[in-house]
Amino acid sequence: MILPVLLGVLVVAVAATPLLDRGLGRNAGWVLAGVFGTLAAVVGAQAPAVLGRGETLEFFVPWMPTLDVGLHLRLDGTSWLFAMLVLGVGALVMAYSTRYFPPGRRTGFYGLMTAFAVAMLGLVLADDVVVMFVFWELTTICSFLLIGLSGESANRPAVRTFILTGLGGLALLAAVVMLMVNAGTSRLSTILAETDWQASPGWSVAVALLVILAAFTKSAQFPFHYWLPDAMAASTPVSTYLHAATMVKAGIYLLMRFTPVFGDFPLWNVLLIGTGLVTAFIGALFALQRTDLKELLAYSTVSQLGLLVAIIGVGTPYALAAAGVHTLAHALFKASLFMLMGVVDTRNGTRDIRELPGLWRAMPATATLMTIGALSMAGIPPLLGFVSKEAILDAMVGLPGEPWVGLLVALGAVAASTLTFAYSFRMVYGAFGGSPGTAKHGEAGPSYLLAPAVTALSGLVLAFALPVLDPLVDRLVLDTTGTAHESHLALWHGFNLPLLLSAIVIGLGAVLAWQRVAVDRVLDRQLVPVQGTQVFEAAYRGVIAAGVRIGRLTASNAPAPYLAAILLTLGGTAIAVTLGRPVVPAQPEPTTRPTDWLLVALILVAVTAVVITRSRLAAVALVGVVGFAVALWFLLLGGFDLALTQLLVEILTVVVAVLVLRRLPRAFHPTPRARRLGAGVVAVVMGVAAGLAAFALTGRREMSPASEYFLRNAEEETGGTNVVNTILVDFRALDTLGELVVLGVTGLIIIGVLESARLNHGRLPEKVAGFAQNVVFSARENSLIMRTVARGLGPVLTLLSLYLLLRGHSAPGGGFIAALVGGAGFALAYLAAPAAARARIRLPYPRLIAAGVAIAGGSGILGYLEGSFLRPLHVDIPLPGDGYYHFTTALIFDVGVYLAVIGVLLTALNRLGTEDDIHAEEPLGPGVESTDEDDPDSEDETNDEIDEGTAAEPDLASPKGGRR
Amino acid sequence: MTLALSIGILVAGGVFMLLQRGMIRIVLGFIMLSHAVNLILMSAGVTSRRDAPLMATADPATAADPLPQAFVLTAIVIAFAITIYMLTLAVARSDDDTEDPS
Repeated sequence: MILPVLLGVLVVAVAATPLLDRGLGRNAGWVLAGVFGTLAAVVGAQAPAVLGRGETLEFFVPWMPTLDVGLHLRLDGTSWLFAMLVLGVGALVMAYSTRYFPPGRRTGFYGLMTAFAVAMLGLVLADDVVVMFVFWELTTICSFLLIGLSGESANRPAVRTFILTGLGGLALLAAVVMLMVNAGTSRLSTILAETDWQASPGWSVAVALLVILAAFTKSAQFPFHYWLPDAMAASTPVSTYLHAATMVKAGIYLLMRFTPVFGDFPLWNVLLIGTGLVTAFIGALFALQRTDLKELLAYSTVSQLGLLVAIIGVGTPYALAAAGVHTLAHALFKASLFMLMGVVDTRNGTRDIRELPGLWRAMPATATLMTIGALSMAGIPPLLGFVSKEAILDAMVGLPGEPWVGLLVALGAVAASTLTFAYSFRMVYGAFGGSPGTAKHGEAGPSYLLAPAVTALSGLVLAFALPVLDPLVDRLVLDTTGTAHESHLALWHGFNLPLLLSAIVIGLGAVLAWQRVAVDRVLDRQLVPVQGTQVFEAAYRGVIAAGVRIGRLTASNAPAPYLAAILLTLGGTAIAVTLGRPVVPAQPEPTTRPTDWLLVALILVAVTAVVITRSRLAAVALVGVVGFAVALWFLLLGGFDLALTQLLVEILTVVVAVLVLRRLPRAFHPTPRARRLGAGVVAVVMGVAAGLAAFALTGRREMSPASEYFLRNAEEETGGTNVVNTILVDFRALDTLGELVVLGVTGLIIIGVLESARLNHGRLPEKVAGFAQNVVFSARENSLIMRTVARGLGPVLTLLSLYLLLRGHSAPGGGFIAALVGGAGFALAYLAAPAAARARIRLPYPRLIAAGVAIAGGSGILGYLEGSFLRPLHVDIPLPGDGYYHFTTALIFDVGVYLAVIGVLLTALNRLGTEDDIHAEEPLGPGVESTDEDDPDSEDETNDEIDEGTAAEPDLASPKGGRR
Repeated sequence: MTLALSIGILVAGGVFMLLQRGMIRIVLGFIMLSHAVNLILMSAGVTSRRDAPLMATADPATAADPLPQAFVLTAIVIAFAITIYMLTLAVARSDDDTEDPS
């Protein structure tokens, strides 16, 4: 039970960060550091069981049982190591952040960092490939957001990081799918243990390549290494966490996880060792070039990750033991170096070694700690980094196969390590050596140095307590290679080849450090012709340009040509199929009733009129008639709810359409006769096809089993007697939730569209000076009846809508209908107002939409109490006197529906109904009090009358008349 | 038969409007097409039984098919949302012309 608690506590911490941030500002980090530290202690307390006795903690809750995907969590030695890094380094980084940032609130930072920890912890604990993939993607998203926190300049780096690591995520997804399909389960440990990797070599190679691609993008291996220095735009605590314990370590973790199966694939060995060494070398080389300490450290991370990938690629028990120790050593020294670099940066306002004075005297503690970290990085005894580097060299020399291959690989590592020595020296000397200048602020306080001191000193202390690490290493080797291993980590192994190699590294490195001026001269140039970010940007632009070019092949702003082609093909096919297979089953029962013909006639007349008319207003009204006819159809077919919904939707559509229409020309754009003829032919073909298909292919069977089931069991299972409503909110509530989201998004898009493109004010009414003061044209007087009616009707409509909402489960009604009735009330209030500016219903409509979707989704989460998302719960509440009120959470769901629909309606009314501000504020004159604007209805009449009465006013009668 | 005829008429009208110039006509065409689709959904159920499926009063043996009704109810609301959105697009520019002036 410990594993879900770890994740759960962190999730709660994420949720609590806004409060902590508000109350404590940057000091919220102390609280979070406490939480992380406690969790780390809890994980640490599992060491005797997991590492000592070799147990494995597991946890399981079903998630998608039908797909056999579940929240499988598993803690073995490998997971233990990475979990400790995530939590331990996380605690220290949180503590460090409280001093790194200036006082004040850190909006979002702590929440995202904690979320990042959740993602990373979930990733290393997941024993289900789907869950693992989800967490993998979460780390990508969190890192994108965290990098993006740093402001404008970090935008492109954040996007580049996201796209590149997202690409790797897709590779992992492909691998996950292939593994799941093959194994028939999503359980990672089962997949790793039971898949027959020899059965289909091509398949295995494909999976291996995908896993490698995912890991390489995440862990910044050549040629994807550039994203890591690019992501330096992030703040130092973020970089520390990214480099030392999370993100890039995710790739390392993935490679370790898959070592049991791929460890002896030659392809795996060659790719990992080759790429790893190349990355290690160029990373170190670039690091040696940098003057910016942060950049130097970023390239150093690239180099160290290369070394880790290479040693994992060796794949022997000794290699994995070395990889485990080096992962730990790297996390410790890299975390301290990053944090100390941040200290130098904040105390001096620069982190460029050309600008930093010799800080040795001014910041002695920082200098000492940084030297310890750098010594560990350079692999100098007696530090943990020395032990791990020795172990790496030892394992490389022992590479199975020809001895010279192992030696060659080890020499590659020696080359990279030599450069590492050189840049470690460059970093320390650059920051602290040289002529002592006056530091701006002097030494940092103890609370600032606490976290880096812990990591740096751990690297020193652990080197003298190496037996402590033996059980961890043994367990990790067992996890990753399946071999029992007994490691004896020690500072002194006697005179052997690795020691000689280490000596060479130190000797050559010292020479490079001594000759640093010459080295700088050699390296002070562009080493490679291109930079990764430039390649990325070129590829990015190229993809977009290619898309534009392909799109242009058929692009036209008019939709008709595309549509005609599609529709004709569709119609032709439909007719051909229908005519080609005339065998049509007989209808079991007659489906036509005499009254139906009335509706057919009504639809025919209305549609014909719509097609013929050239007036926009008439067309909208006629389409309304069509809608009413369709509503009647629903009524005849037994759909009470449908008919009601259709009717209300029709009314509201007309209201919204009228708001839109008054901004547009009066008549439709003219189309030439030939075009109308062509469109007519296509339309008739389509109509005939659709009619024939509907006649021949539908209505020729008995009731479907699902319908039969709903009819017979709805009441028993849901307590509702309105079967359609129970389907919407009980049986298929997920579909309705999806629909709700679509609705909500529409509302937001409307706001977005109108924010980005100014509302068209084309045909808003022009004040006619002569008439403006005439009472006949006064909006206020004219809307009197409407207002009176609205005043009485508004509350009734509101009550009615609430009533419909409450009874929806058992009688016609429900969230949609209730909201549409309520919306009609708002529309009435809107239309009755004498001025649009006054009619604005001042409810926060975007919030209503959000609240609706949230309530509906939240009521779904309640369903987990009985086992699954959106499962309605039922309670019978006894009423005073006699009887019960049947309450179900489906009602809460319906309330969500109600709010979202109301929100969208208000959005449309408010956004489309607003007047031009100039119009709204224009005073009319002394005679008429405060009626700034004609309301939409009377305005149309005004114009109509002018049309008929005074033809001499061509400006108003013409479609383009009006203000603009 | 009658349902199929209504569908045919609505599709023909809707398609004709879609192929015209100007956003409003396209929106109106869209509305009519969605009516047609909703009727097709209804037609896919059992249209010979037409009692409202309100089980407080109805008999399961004669009540209308509830499944297409649930589909259509969802479809109506979604179509409404899209209609409003398309109407917004019609006024987000100076004119609702969908074709380059030739």
